[in-house]
Amino acid sequence: MTDLECLESLLKRKPAERIVYWEYYTIAFAAIQSGMTIAEAYANPRASYESQKKVSADLGIMFQPVYSCLGNDFGGDSMSMDSCYAQAPATAHYPVNTAIDIWRLQTPDLSSLATLKEGLEFSRLSASEKLDNEPFNVTFNCSGPFTTAGELCGIERFCRWLVDSPALVHRLLRVTTDYLTQAAIIWLANFKNARIMLLVSEPSASNQVISPEHFKMFALPYIKELHENVLNAGYKHIFCHICGDQNINLKYWAEIPMGDPGIISIGHEIDIETAAKYFPNDIIHGNLNPVILQTQTPAEIYEATRKVIEQGKKLQGRYVFGQGCEIPPRCKKENVLAMIQAVSDFGRLE
Amino acid sequence: MNDTKFNVIEELAKSVVLLDDAKAVNLAKKVIADGIDIDMAITSGLVRGMAMAGEKYEKGEYFVPELLVASDVMNAGLNILRPGPKASNTAAGFANPKVVIGVIEGDVHEIGKNLVKLMLETAGFQIIDLGPDVPIRKFMETAVTEDAGLICLSGMMSTSLLGMKDVINMLNKEGLRKRFRVMVGGACVSAAYAHEIGADGYAGNAMAAVREAKSLMK
Repeated sequence: MTDLECLESLLKRKPAERIVYWEYYTIAFAAIQSGMTIAEAYANPRASYESQKKVSADLGIMFQPVYSCLGNDFGGDSMSMDSCYAQAPATAHYPVNTAIDIWRLQTPDLSSLATLKEGLEFSRLSASEKLDNEPFNVTFNCSGPFTTAGELCGIERFCRWLVDSPALVHRLLRVTTDYLTQAAIIWLANFKNARIMLLVSEPSASNQVISPEHFKMFALPYIKELHENVLNAGYKHIFCHICGDQNINLKYWAEIPMGDPGIISIGHEIDIETAAKYFPNDIIHGNLNPVILQTQTPAEIYEATRKVIEQGKKLQGRYVFGQGCEIPPRCKKENVLAMIQAVSDFGRLE
Repeated sequence: MNDTKFNVIEELAKSVVLLDDAKAVNLAKKVIADGIDIDMAITSGLVRGMAMAGEKYEKGEYFVPELLVASDVMNAGLNILRPGPKASNTAAGFANPKVVIGVIEGDVHEIGKNLVKLMLETAGFQIIDLGPDVPIRKFMETAVTEDAGLICLSGMMSTSLLGMKDVINMLNKEGLRKRFRVMVGGACVSAAYAHEIGADGYAGNAMAAVREAKSLMK
């Protein structure tokens, strides 16, 4: 079986003969490997698409085309990406600074958004070809409603409002949930014949930031609503990156529908078998600490990957290998190859 | 100190740890009205309350929102007791209490840095906060200009690690490495990496940063 056949078998809830590597976010790494800057990749859908495709082919891995579809659609400014130390776009000036800003906030007219157009342009490119190594040729990629809300007002202000102004937080979450739902449905409408997947992450909901009580009160209902909305609209699979340490949130995450099956991507902070207990019907993806791809030697990475694979094998066929977060853009290609080699050497299932 | 004054200061500490800003303001006014020693009310009341909130954070009873609001409550009390520009906390006996802190160039995630800054200030360090997205050279230049003792480098992205290494390399190259202690922290940083790049200290959270800074600067 090819990697793609193995993964497609799992997505049909059938056995695969081995564990495969599924890299889901290569924008910045592919840019560097292709001689571009990361800023160029995030500003040029075509160049990013071509670089991702090329790097996947070079590495001999499955190709998951993904683009940062949503930007400062509510206003605000992004930081400059010119620095050699920049990794991903981030908001430098927020559109929401006061309570009044929140009550004035409206879901933007999605038909006129420049970033949405760039995202659609990328997805048109990926939808126009169906390569023999891509499980989904269109990805709608976004931060979840909780993280998006924090990005609108700044995470520190958002945290303070969680404690002393819950009504403001609910209002923000209402807007972001509606916005993300509408954008996801636009993707469905535009790519009816594509194999489409929702890729969503919630780093700001991690327990490195908030308590499980706040997760339950503020994050859970809106994430659940978004997932229900997109599944009802026609998405079959959600690739949900539960970013960071979310161990004491897992019992709430388990209440959220993820698709048939969903793909639960976990960071190195969450144990693979623990995740599997909370998500008995989904595919678990993870959880190699991505930082080691930048800081350790190929031999060390090979061994660390072997250990993760051995854990993944205990899930008896509903596990896919991957890093616990984005591949470090400036890690060496030989380090990535060592990881891939380990998956190949140790991934065979009995 | 009589029982009433002791109770006011104790309640002041509790107001911070219980995130009750109205109570902190009322008690601070009472401190002034009753002629209670202001320095003691700050140190044994507000600052101690903040330290208690920090302990709860470290135990996993409080998270970032609670810690931030506790600092707001502390500041609400401080604004009554010591209005105007804040003098640094009372000298805490460090060899050099000046700390230059910032987030590595290319990274605007500063919540971790701000928590470390908050807890270091509470512990008596004098903070020069360079903010987010700080050019590598600026850490060194500011530390020299301010005659700081400690440089704290924060970053959340894997690329931030490269910037941390470059700051230390630059200090070495300029012959300034021995003049400053360097502490690193952030989501991608580990103690092993800190050691590898030649940092003097590493902290996995804000409370650990205080312990490490105290150890480095004693």
